[in-house]
Amino acid sequence: MPIVVIGLSHHSSPVTVRERFAFAETIIPAALQRIRESGIADEAVILSTCNRVEIYASSPLQDRQAAAALQQFLLDHQKYSEPLNGEIYTLGEPNSLEHLFKVAAGLDSMVLGETEILGQLKKAYDLALKHKHTGSRLNKAFQRAFNVAKQIRTETNIQRGSVSVGSVAVELAEKIFTSLSERQVMVIGAGETSEKTARALLSRGAHSIIVSNRSHERALALAAELEGRAVHFDDWADEFPKIDIVISSTAAPHYVLDRAKLEPLMKLRKNRSLLLIDIAVPRDIEPEVNFLENVYLYNIDDLQAIADGYLQQRREEIRGCEKIICEKVKGLLQISTSRAEPHSDGQFAFE
Amino acid sequence: MSWLTDKFSFAVAVLFYGISVVYSVFLWRRGFREDSRVNYCLLLAAAVFHTTAMIKRGFSLERCPVNNLFEATMFVTWTMVMAYLVFGIWSKIRFLGAFASPILFAIGVFALMPSLDVRGTKPEFTGGLVSLHATLILLSYGAFGLSSIAGIMYVTQEHDLKFHKLRAVFSRLPPIERMEKVMNGLLIAGFILLSGGLLLSPILLKQKYDVYFNSDPKLIWSMVVWVVYLMLLVMRGRFGQGGRRFAWGAIGSFAFVLLTFWGVNLLSPAHQ
Repeated sequence: MPIVVIGLSHHSSPVTVRERFAFAETIIPAALQRIRESGIADEAVILSTCNRVEIYASSPLQDRQAAAALQQFLLDHQKYSEPLNGEIYTLGEPNSLEHLFKVAAGLDSMVLGETEILGQLKKAYDLALKHKHTGSRLNKAFQRAFNVAKQIRTETNIQRGSVSVGSVAVELAEKIFTSLSERQVMVIGAGETSEKTARALLSRGAHSIIVSNRSHERALALAAELEGRAVHFDDWADEFPKIDIVISSTAAPHYVLDRAKLEPLMKLRKNRSLLLIDIAVPRDIEPEVNFLENVYLYNIDDLQAIADGYLQQRREEIRGCEKIICEKVKGLLQISTSRAEPHSDGQFAFE
Repeated sequence: MSWLTDKFSFAVAVLFYGISVVYSVFLWRRGFREDSRVNYCLLLAAAVFHTTAMIKRGFSLERCPVNNLFEATMFVTWTMVMAYLVFGIWSKIRFLGAFASPILFAIGVFALMPSLDVRGTKPEFTGGLVSLHATLILLSYGAFGLSSIAGIMYVTQEHDLKFHKLRAVFSRLPPIERMEKVMNGLLIAGFILLSGGLLLSPILLKQKYDVYFNSDPKLIWSMVVWVVYLMLLVMRGRFGQGGRRFAWGAIGSFAFVLLTFWGVNLLSPAHQ
């Protein structure tokens, strides 16, 4: 019985369409039950994330028939009656298996090589397994997909490096400081990106967070969330001798920190290294401060350039990953064909 | 195995240093993204031949081989490579080898010049004090040498971070703070060894010239070196002059040692 994939993803459809097809986790077991009862498939898994909705099924039908039936099921189940213009894709073997392996390895993700999708795929599979909607075909395919994802992660650089501003900031900190466990972080301006960056630093062991914001109430709230301490906006410079990393994202139209202000502060901190992350637009920190010894200033464009560089590096790994996937799909199909008669009507991938 | 002389072993070691230089250029061009285990193995192979050369020369003299410029140079580079092999056990510091091999290769080629290995009569054994004095001082130069290599690694990484080069984050070089700690540790170790070696000088002068101090150029030069390193350590310890200036201090001080050591040696009657 061939494995068929039908679905939509960020590649094929906008969020306005994807959200109409999304499955809440609670209704997935019932939907799987319906697919099996209708005779379209003997085994099925539904993956529903913010970037994709896909049904993986092992069907007793020819795969074109199975794909058409699954598409109809999807449209009926989600009560979608508007005309479609290539938003839904359907894949038969071996493309369906290749697709599954690519999804597991993060090759089909919006952020190339991200690992969150593997967790989501495991969760979707576990849900189907728990409700006994999978059998030997899908079990083998999914287990193999998880193994391939692991192999790709260890043998290639597809997941290496940071592609978000927050994690790039963490990497930079780790290139300057031996350990983050003794490092104090100051957040000036309690914006969303600075909060994410501070959280990323905390997750990597940063010692503590001090938050300073024009609205002291907002500073108190963020400090409470990050289990840190809030200081009044006029007093943030007093805390500087203890600080190692500064994340600045105020809405001030002028520089909050300039060379004249920082120079004496650096002497107070005995010239220890200082990482300044300026994610504000317009910028909070005068670029001149980067010329001070032991000061490392990065603005939002610098961080983005690093993230883009990593992404480029990941793109260069795609060919190697596809080679691994191709070999593994061939291996899996050889095992399947040696054990059962083929049901697939050949290699195809249709829209 | 008569062909396996000390000189031949050392030449093979220098050859391995040369291969390591080529591999280091490859690592450099790849932005230090590759693991430097291969380089570590190359330097390990070099160290094996280097040690063989040292042992052979030592056994032939029946004392520590530090009697002429060839032996002294061989000893300094041996100290550096052995210290690297210890530090290189930690994978993050292993890249030190990529910065060390060009210096080891250059000094090694210099040491192979025939005029440096002047073999006079077999030196008399003088209770081991001369050997201890020379060994401590040469060990200190080895530590200073490796510290300057750590300094080169520091300024490279620091420059990349300062000027937002992608290599700063893409490379597998260690954090600059760790490099500074390595540099400082090596400088302290080198300073203690140099102080120990120099403390023996008055005793040796008393034995040879019946004075505790004379104006031998090498003695004066060694004291200058001692003061330079003392200042470097005081500036860091007392005045917080860490970071780039400290790294350049370590590099500059060793460059001074490297460029003047052989010349001063030739001018010194007490060290001939």
